[in-house]
Amino acid sequence: MRRFSKEELRHYNGLDGMPAYVAYQGKVYDVSGSFLWQQGLHQATHAAGSDLTAALKQAPHGAELLLRFPIVGILDPNG
Amino acid sequence: MAQVTREMVERAGVNVDQLVELLIKNAAAELTTYYYYTILRVNLIGLQGEGLKEIAETARIEDRNHFEALVPRIYELGGKLPQDMKAFHDISACPPAVLPKDPTDVKAMLTVLVEAERCAVRGYTHICNLTAGKDHRTYDLALAILNEEIEHESWFSEFLGEGPSGHFLRRGETSPFVSKFLK
Ligand code: HEM
Ligand SMILES: [Fe+2]
Ligand SMILES: [Fe+2]
Repeated sequence: MRRFSKEELRHYNGLDGMPAYVAYQGKVYDVSGSFLWQQGLHQATHAAGSDLTAALKQAPHGAELLLRFPIVGILDPNG
Repeated sequence: MAQVTREMVERAGVNVDQLVELLIKNAAAELTTYYYYTILRVNLIGLQGEGLKEIAETARIEDRNHFEALVPRIYELGGKLPQDMKAFHDISACPPAVLPKDPTDVKAMLTVLVEAERCAVRGYTHICNLTAGKDHRTYDLALAILNEEIEHESWFSEFLGEGPSGHFLRRGETSPFVSKFLK
């Protein structure tokens, strides 16, 4: 499975034709197909291309909505 | 824009631009849901569908009321609706409540309806959390809408066999909570 550094993940921000990836608990999910992640932006508060593990705690939903999306890799814990 | 109104909310520590964007997204969800529910409602026919028509209609009218009630708050806080209605549709806080391929599949119809309501319950809970004790007017409005969204969720969830919700369909006027914002 592909490993993403934080820096690499940053490019997958859903803009300029790039897919929208978000990291959660060490896994990288592809949310490009979601209506709610168009241009890599979610609910005016979150952007793709980053680790949103902490952010999900403030969300009005749990991880179950994210786990339905395909996993494309893992986030390198060393950077 | 109502200048001091906005300033009070800013000084309470709310990110007003972000809040306004959320209000616009939820207004878009309301108006698009009103549209999609129109199609769902006309397709709720036959022995099973007919029983849902009434609550779908009430939920539809109340969502239009929610749109109407949100718009003044958006402008008070310095926001505005997009010029382009297609753009407005696409920034909705909730996915489109599209008619299922087989509209005679009542379970599929109910699933679309209940998911739309659940999305709304999440959205307004979040707005209440952001504004509680800080932006009293937006909080009051979001709470009023939330009260109605919870009823909508309850009505549909009972039909999905999720157990009793303690609610009865609306009697009398629509929007018992939001109507004060519509006068
Ligand atoms: C303030 C934070 C957030 C808010 C207000 C928010 C709000 C929402 C809402 C209202 C929905 C629709 C739910 C439904 O249909 O019932 C949703 C879906 C979703 N959210 Fe969030 N969310 C937030 C944070 C996050 C974070 C941090 C992530 C990722 C880690 C995330 C990932 C998702 C996903 C994947 C979906 C499902 C999209 C789909 O099915 O197309 N959300 N969110
Ligand atoms: Fe609504
Ligand atoms: Fe609703």
